Amino acid sequence: MPGQTFIVRGAILVALAALLEAALSPFLTFGWVGPKFVVLGVVVAITNLRELQALLLGFFGGVLVDALGGEHFGVGALSGILAAAISVRASAARLKGEARLVLTQAAAVAVYDLLGLLAPILAGSEGPPLGRYLFGGVVPDVLLNAFLAYLVGGWLLRLVTTKEERWT
Amino acid sequence: MGRSRKSNAAGGLAALVVLCVTSLVLFTVYVREGDQGPLHTIQLGASEVLRPVRGLFGLAASPFQAAGERVEEVLDTREREELEQRAREYEEGAAEAARLRQENGRLRALLEGEQPSFEYAPLARIVAPVGGQLTERVVINVGTNDGVGPEQPVVVGNNILVGRTTDRVTPNTAEVLLVTDRNFAAGVRLLPPEVLGDEPEQESTTPAGETTTVRESTTPRRDLTRLRQDLASAEDSHGEGLLRTNWEGYIGVDYVDLHAEVEQGDFVITSGRAGDRELLFPPGLLVGTVESVSSQDIDQYKKIVVTPALKADDLEEVRVIIGW
Repeated sequence: MPGQTFIVRGAILVALAALLEAALSPFLTFGWVGPKFVVLGVVVAITNLRELQALLLGFFGGVLVDALGGEHFGVGALSGILAAAISVRASAARLKGEARLVLTQAAAVAVYDLLGLLAPILAGSEGPPLGRYLFGGVVPDVLLNAFLAYLVGGWLLRLVTTKEERWT
Repeated sequence: MGRSRKSNAAGGLAALVVLCVTSLVLFTVYVREGDQGPLHTIQLGASEVLRPVRGLFGLAASPFQAAGERVEEVLDTREREELEQRAREYEEGAAEAARLRQENGRLRALLEGEQPSFEYAPLARIVAPVGGQLTERVVINVGTNDGVGPEQPVVVGNNILVGRTTDRVTPNTAEVLLVTDRNFAAGVRLLPPEVLGDEPEQESTTPAGETTTVRESTTPRRDLTRLRQDLASAEDSHGEGLLRTNWEGYIGVDYVDLHAEVEQGDFVITSGRAGDRELLFPPGLLVGTVESVSSQDIDQYKKIVVTPALKADDLEEVRVIIGW
């Protein structure tokens, strides 16, 4: 039953990350740069999960962020799914451990930011100039979140994937 | 074995497509449904539930924010130079400074009093910032139970506009879209300081015989009820336009005619009307002062940069105008 344990731990991690994203991230966001807890949560939580489970967990985390935050509904869900998909592909490419976490987090945050830019434009609002946003928002955001993944990703990974030892 | 792997990959791809489409459907429904739609209602409920958590995080973050502001102040050389210049001016004219202090006290008393023609909700505290990186919004601790509704002006003192409530108003909380948000817009009028009864500048002579120029205040002095009446005529106005914050990060007034006689130091006041149409804000709310005015031959409108009367970071307590 270790698979179920991973799913439950992963779901709890993603739920906590979504809560942090909605309640704490606005305090830590400066300009266009801030921590993306839910992306990190999804990237860590889907380790050892099958593709379908991973995608569903990403969707679940994203929908939670959409519900708890105040942004356009569906954008967080899409970001969560894509973060999970990127992470699954990274695992399939035999990237392991913290390297996988950091690279996946960087790619997923870039996607997250670009979707965040696209959503208000699709909804009829104005967005910032793309070049300015890329260099002033996406790049520093990717670097910050990759660093965050490097700092705490390994620890979270151990928390989620450590197998329980049974007394015999 | 190979067939099973192919089948898994196909299943994963199908799941990815289905979930992406579901997300896009959610997005479309959210954008198209009204403010009373189910997805908006979910967010509203979650906002109410999260209020204590946000409050706790706000409490925990406040020392760090204060420290950050101090660091920012130290690093902001421009502000330091301005302060040094101001300090020099005060040193040069001690008598003038004393008079200004008295004036300041009187203005403060004016600000603390309520504007009789406006109906205010109780004083509200900022609970927490909300939203993503492309927005400037905060949650305040008053809501429908206090008479607050969507799209009402939010002020500091009795007339300094800092934002407006959004559609997300719960019984105990309201979300405020700040003036610095890119989606905020307000019809404004540019008024010279003399119209507001504010003498623009006064010359004074120091004991050393040097002549210094002192600006009296950055807040209009005249009774705002009278001001609102006068704004209807707008004979003294230096121009009208649309107040917006652009992506470069400064607040500006768009669509001001090239021939408008706007000057640095003019007050930016809500106009309340655009032609025959009533706007979202009552006339006479102060937004800030004109920092710079520029235009080029190819421009259709003047480029006006506004210094807000209050910085968004300085907000602690606000009031919602629920009737006027």
